[in-house]
Amino acid sequence: MDETTTLLPGTLDVLILKAVSLGKLHGYAVLLRIEQISGGALHIQQGALYPALYRLEHQGLIDSVWGTSENNRRAKFYRLTATGRKRLGLETASWNRLAEAIGRALAATPQEVT
Amino acid sequence: MIGRICAGLRSLFSGLRRSSRLDAEMKEEFTLHIELRAADLARSGLNHTEALRQARREFGMMAHHAEDGRASRGLRHFDQFRVSLLDFKLGLRMLLRYPGLTLVAGFALAFAICIGSATFEFLNQIISPSLAFHEGDRIVAVRNWNAANNRADMHAAHDFEQWRKRLSKVQDLGAYQSLVRNLIINGEGTPLELAEISAVAFSVTRVAPLMGRTLVASDELPGAAPVVVIGHDIWTRLFNSDQSIVGRSVQLGRTLTTIVGVMPEGFAFPISHSLWAPLRLSATDVVPGGGPTLRVFGKLAPGIRIEDAQIELSGLGKRSSIDLPLTHEHLRPQVMPYTQSIVNLSATNSTLLMSSNLFLVLLVGLVCSNVALLMFARAATREGEIAVRAALGASRGRIVGQLFAEALVLGIVAALVGLAVTRYALQWGLGMIEAELLNDGGRLPFWVKGGLSPMTVVYATGLTLFGAVIAGIVPALKVTRGLGARLKLATAGAGGLRFGGMWTAVIVTQVAATVTFPALAFFVQRDAVEVETVPVGFAPNQFLSTRIEFDRESQVRLLEDSATNARADFQQRYQALRLRLLNEPSVSGVTFASRLPRMYHGWNQIEADGGAVAPRDVAMGHRVSRVAIAPDYFEVLGVPLVEGRAFNASDALSTARVAIVNRTFVNSVFGKRNPIGHRIRVVAADNDATTPVDSVWCEIVGVAQDMGMTSDYGQAGIYEPIGAAGLLPVEMIIHTRGDPKVQMPRIRSLASSVDANLRLHQLQRLDDVSDAEVQFLQFWFQVTAMVSAIALLLSLAAIYAVMSFAVSRRTREIGIRVALGSSVQAITLAVFRKPLTQIGIGIVCGAVLVTMFSTVATGHSPSLKQAAIILAYTVAMTLVCALACIVPTRRALSVQPTEALRSE
Repeated sequence: MDETTTLLPGTLDVLILKAVSLGKLHGYAVLLRIEQISGGALHIQQGALYPALYRLEHQGLIDSVWGTSENNRRAKFYRLTATGRKRLGLETASWNRLAEAIGRALAATPQEVT
Repeated sequence: MIGRICAGLRSLFSGLRRSSRLDAEMKEEFTLHIELRAADLARSGLNHTEALRQARREFGMMAHHAEDGRASRGLRHFDQFRVSLLDFKLGLRMLLRYPGLTLVAGFALAFAICIGSATFEFLNQIISPSLAFHEGDRIVAVRNWNAANNRADMHAAHDFEQWRKRLSKVQDLGAYQSLVRNLIINGEGTPLELAEISAVAFSVTRVAPLMGRTLVASDELPGAAPVVVIGHDIWTRLFNSDQSIVGRSVQLGRTLTTIVGVMPEGFAFPISHSLWAPLRLSATDVVPGGGPTLRVFGKLAPGIRIEDAQIELSGLGKRSSIDLPLTHEHLRPQVMPYTQSIVNLSATNSTLLMSSNLFLVLLVGLVCSNVALLMFARAATREGEIAVRAALGASRGRIVGQLFAEALVLGIVAALVGLAVTRYALQWGLGMIEAELLNDGGRLPFWVKGGLSPMTVVYATGLTLFGAVIAGIVPALKVTRGLGARLKLATAGAGGLRFGGMWTAVIVTQVAATVTFPALAFFVQRDAVEVETVPVGFAPNQFLSTRIEFDRESQVRLLEDSATNARADFQQRYQALRLRLLNEPSVSGVTFASRLPRMYHGWNQIEADGGAVAPRDVAMGHRVSRVAIAPDYFEVLGVPLVEGRAFNASDALSTARVAIVNRTFVNSVFGKRNPIGHRIRVVAADNDATTPVDSVWCEIVGVAQDMGMTSDYGQAGIYEPIGAAGLLPVEMIIHTRGDPKVQMPRIRSLASSVDANLRLHQLQRLDDVSDAEVQFLQFWFQVTAMVSAIALLLSLAAIYAVMSFAVSRRTREIGIRVALGSSVQAITLAVFRKPLTQIGIGIVCGAVLVTMFSTVATGHSPSLKQAAIILAYTVAMTLVCALACIVPTRRALSVQPTEALRSE
């Protein structure tokens, strides 16, 4: 059975923010980092990553610098901006509240509602 | 929030600025991603080729992700409207594919751009011209402004001396006064505008003479030999480009003076002069508030702004107002760009003049909306092609971009033609004005030139873009609106497109304009013809006429003596000239008048002591022309009086005033009754009236034929005897035997021999007198005729295209109606109803405009003839409309209903 989970709409952005908050990364490395920190549970369609990266950069949540990749090629590295860090905090808190509420709702038993 | 907006804008601008670089970077990023993924896959056991293939497959379409990437950066809308070189190539191809539309629309756009840019250039040359001299932008004018009466005070000789000594921020100060003097060559006097000017003018402008030298400071010293520098046109026109001209003596008025230099072609500083003599200010001139009328100029010191110079000048002005309270209390010295002091337009007037550009932009907008109509009709015929492009994935923006590019190509071609015509038209128009001015020795200011400035080219570029937006984007948006929905319904390219209310408004406006413009041209032409053919009652080609004036010395005397004595002195001289002329065998008569037949005569409001009919407009009263004439006026012109008697010598001296009236006067004021013995008097007059309003009763002693008295109120007029004091200036009429023009040099030399200061202006054949007005009207007629022709052509083409298109869209409906058994008449009526309604509304609007214009311009409603012309236009317009409807209707009717339905 496939262990990977489809991403909920709107969650890719926060995952990218989290990934780059752990250190500056180029595009492919962002993909690997998300897979790594999600324990391989989240699978991201590769091409979809870049529009999301550009959108976040356009919004000023991340910025980019050109550097050298592990195979000695020119690569664009993304890192979190101060605004992005603030946004990540808000999104994380919001997600936690949502997850907790959904978790609580899903754990409800008949006894609790009678 | 603000940070995000800033980041977004920065990213957007960066994307727009580095569009191609951005694409390259994305590609580089994607390639690296695929390579790294392939390397990972290779490590898991796949061979290199297979790993690369799988990495590519997993990544997906690079182009698709790149497009999404650009969209994420907010560039989608810009991408949609991106216009490629291919679009321009296609636009060029479209010009050739639809030659009719190219010609009509291109012609209209070129015309609109031409009118817009010519006006912009002309206004710029008047309001903020640039002086084509070395550091011309630093040349300034300095003057005193009288705050008490809000006028420039030109008696600045004293201040000029002060400014020259004390001003440090304006250097090389000079002054000039402009006079008209007789330049007498071989005994023949030619009145010319002379600038008595400081020698420094030539160093300020830094223009070297063509021959000889310019004026120098020593020429200004009292007692220096009289010298003059002549301009290129005088040198060529009056001296036949004589190479040995320098050192030659000529008579300037009564003074024998030496020509010391010739200036090159085009030099006409300070305004439009081509004769320069040194300015000599005597001690009596340099008194506060006195002396001659002078204009002062100078050059801003290096690095000094006009505001700095004004501060320094205001300081001097304050000191003068304290030291010289009697003359300088209200004087405020000003420094300003050189031409501003001459053109003398207030900031408000300059703004008002420049705002006329807005009107022309609106004209361009109107013309472009007509072109848009044509473009829409063309785009509608290409609906199928557009639908295919949309089905193949072209966004609406791309299609709009393509249609915009097509309009822009048309606009660029039209702009090139329009600018070329503007250049020619400006030269032609200015040439005509200059030729008219030259007739009286005048010229246009030297800074008014026929060329196009870079600013005008930029302005024309803006107009072209504006035009392309209207003619390209508006119809493109209309034709692509709901394209997706039409594609789904499979009606795109098959008649789903309809004209809306906006186009109806455009058609109505067009028809109204088509009715209005030709009527406008007709009125102008009618005026021109009326002026040219106004009857004078004698053969004017057998007469010469000239205006006689005196040179400056005589004018100075006029100030010194009483005005009456000076006039008597002048009268004595022109009477002496009359006697000399009468001694000539080729002259059969000489007479004088204040105005000549066919000249414009100002109006005078009169009242009669009885017997007069009520005026048409009580508030305006009876308005008539008024001319003072010599007693032998009718005799010399060979026009006998209809009734009563002519003036005699004693009439001018008698206290009992008499007058002769013309036939139109009798008809309009006395209702055709005999006016002799009745008394009239002038109670009001306009500014152009040559004789003052004195409200003294005059007895009518005679009735003359109508002899070409023209004013805004018709040909009614009265003649009065020239008073005992004579006239200054006076129009002289000479009856010659044989060709009058042959006598002109002789008459000039006779005038110079009577008095070197007697100037003959506009010596010409009497039938040429009205030329200035007629030429202007003809020029104006040509302009309005051109506008009308373009309006007509464009309107007819657009009306035809639109009607034809609208009817052809109804083929299916016609098919159904035929299938249901409708008669041909019923179908035709149904098809024609809407177009005819639009045309009808347009014609009514146009007729209202024409009536309004006619009433305002001529004071009364359109005549029967004008109404007939409007009716003729109505018929022509209806015929065009009918033709536009008939062709597609016949085509639709000839199609079998089943075929019509199947084809849809």
